Amino acid sequence: MTTLSTPRQDSTNRTRKSALRDGSSRSGGTRATVRRRADGRFVLACLLPALVLFIVFMIVPTVNVFRMSLYTWSGFSPDLRFVGLDNFSRLLDDEQFVRAFQNTVALLIVVTVVTMGMALFLAAIMTRQRLRGRNLYRFVLYIPNVLSVVVIAAIFSAVYDQENGLLNGTLRLLSLDGLQQVWLGDQKIVLYSVAIAMVWQSLGYYMVLYMAGMASIPEELYEASALDGASATRQFFSLTLPLIWQSLRTTLTFFVMSAVNLSFVLVRAMTGGGPDGSSEVLLSYMYKQAYTNSSYGYGMAIGVVIFAFSFLVSLLVSRATRREPLQF
Amino acid sequence: MRRSLVLGAGAAVTALGLLVGCSAGGDGSDSGRTTLEVAALEGGYGRDMYTQVIKAYEASHPDIDVRLQISKSIEDEITPNMKAGRFPDVVVLGQGRKAALTETLVKDKALEDLTPVLETKIPGEDRTVGDKLTEGIVGNLNTNPYGTDQTYLMPMYYAPTGLFYNKGLFEEKGWKVPGTWDEMFALGETAKKQGIPLFTYPTAGYLDSYFFALLADVGGEDFYTDVMTYEKDVWKTAKARQALDITTKLLGYAAPATAGYANEQDFTKNQQLVLDNKALFMPNGTWIVGEMAEAPRAKGFQWGLTPLPAVTTGGKRYITTSVESVWVPSAAQDKDAAKEFIAYLYSDEAAKIFAKSNAIQPVEGIASSLSAENAAFYQLYEDPSVSALVGGFASTAPVPGVDIKATLFDTANSIISGDTTEDEWQAALNDASEKLRQAGD
Repeated sequence: MTTLSTPRQDSTNRTRKSALRDGSSRSGGTRATVRRRADGRFVLACLLPALVLFIVFMIVPTVNVFRMSLYTWSGFSPDLRFVGLDNFSRLLDDEQFVRAFQNTVALLIVVTVVTMGMALFLAAIMTRQRLRGRNLYRFVLYIPNVLSVVVIAAIFSAVYDQENGLLNGTLRLLSLDGLQQVWLGDQKIVLYSVAIAMVWQSLGYYMVLYMAGMASIPEELYEASALDGASATRQFFSLTLPLIWQSLRTTLTFFVMSAVNLSFVLVRAMTGGGPDGSSEVLLSYMYKQAYTNSSYGYGMAIGVVIFAFSFLVSLLVSRATRREPLQF
Repeated sequence: MRRSLVLGAGAAVTALGLLVGCSAGGDGSDSGRTTLEVAALEGGYGRDMYTQVIKAYEASHPDIDVRLQISKSIEDEITPNMKAGRFPDVVVLGQGRKAALTETLVKDKALEDLTPVLETKIPGEDRTVGDKLTEGIVGNLNTNPYGTDQTYLMPMYYAPTGLFYNKGLFEEKGWKVPGTWDEMFALGETAKKQGIPLFTYPTAGYLDSYFFALLADVGGEDFYTDVMTYEKDVWKTAKARQALDITTKLLGYAAPATAGYANEQDFTKNQQLVLDNKALFMPNGTWIVGEMAEAPRAKGFQWGLTPLPAVTTGGKRYITTSVESVWVPSAAQDKDAAKEFIAYLYSDEAAKIFAKSNAIQPVEGIASSLSAENAAFYQLYEDPSVSALVGGFASTAPVPGVDIKATLFDTANSIISGDTTEDEWQAALNDASEKLRQAGD
């Protein structure tokens, strides 16, 4: 979006300049009106391509998801059958769906809490403690964000390998053989294995965001509080956190959305929802139903549930974290 | 004023151009020449054989251009166009793929009836396609998915599946390949003492070749058909229970690594277990030889393939035979040219090219063009106590949330880990089967 809006501003400025040049012979009042009208039309014309794309690729498909969830359709045939809310009532009896929902909620909670907590903690340490080599740490922690999820899945399947993986290998080396696990094969553990990969992937990104927010807090505030005898922990909770609260809120909402998507890609590449559906998440189950099981309408009903769920969670998060913005 | 008009028009043209750019497509024919769109899955056999066959076909049919689209994920490439109403004329793609495109079109009744192709004379030869095909290869649920006399899916290549093992290891240890399940489990105990687990599978999905044969071994072909067509309460029968009993016992001998590696990322590590003598048997297909050609292996390793052990001594044994299909979507443009092309695929000329890439067609006289290793695999069919078993679950209208293949195969992971009991498995199967039966009625 930013890339689209930048040239728009540029060209508006350019037109304004040329309009000034052209209109120099006309009278002032008419010139301004004509210019304003021309500007309006120009802005509209520039917005049109983006608007058309937005409607065709965002609005129409979204509306279609809602519409298709009321039909049964295999995906190709011309015969659509309207079934009303049947797809939704089926969802309630579908154990696999319930399990996928539980997994998604568990992942959202665990991953959000851990990622946000660790990102804040690391960002605070790196900005406040003037850690030596912090640029290197920042770089290292940010790298996973640049990697494609398929690469991450491959890395983690090597880490989790039960025979000669990094994790079990290290445990053996430390003579902690009892702690070795079949990380991707044990139905009670597999979800947390996926969660760790998700945290690893997104930690660096949010840390960098918070570091930027913290860096802009004026140093005097810290100095003043230090003179008052505030400890580093106290400074973090009474100064840093309230002052970056607004960016924390925004990132939290974004994170909830992106975690839903990330969990799908990672689960699909790493476990395929297995073993026996124990790491299935909502989106991967929707994909399976819509395509592999030729139940497109049912898949779209799951899509609607995901939409409503992410919407609700974002709303709740944003409501629950609402505070009076603080200025410095 | 004029300038903003021009600007507006320009913006509109840009927007339209962006949209049109996505949908521009080629025209099917020009000046009397027919362009035949062929889509094929690039499987273990590679892509060269298709280009060669097409070249040979174009040489004898100068008025036809064949455009080949081939990919390892061909479904992803052709479905967007299909949804927009542009269908390929000929598709070479079997069932049992993750995207389930063939199954979806079967369920939709969106395939062209290919029964007339069986009566068509093969171009350049005297015989019809039907005469040349191996007996029994058409007329089953795999080719006639609705259980009628109409053939919608022509069998393209066939390959035996079964339990693969290391022949070298068996010779070295002096073990006999088990002929019955009792012998199998006895071997399991012997091997266990030497630290070698009896069984593994690449992913649970590979159990299809195992289960279909086992069901037929236990209850004969009639019982197998009953299960595949969702006969009422078929999973509650003693025979079904026996099949699950055998499987549960077998899974008790599974290599401990199996479930952890049974996913898309790691399944070759399970296959490697057999190469490393860390597991004795795994269900698989003949493509395994090519797939693991580069993998390291134990000394003296040699691929062997055996059908499932018999349930009783001297009992009949079945080999699940994987058959890849060629079909024509009913919405294709040049259906006649497509049928003619399919008939050509069964010509001696084409069969020879296919066989060179180890793609073996179910036509008479193919035996002479087999490589030595393949010949050993296909020889299994010559044993009088062994029969080929083709097909799979009958297709019904899709039932949301019910996937009986997943219930039958994937649960194996939970049986190994103890997360599910055999009783729960049986109940879930009966439940899924009943829902599909109702959808089929």
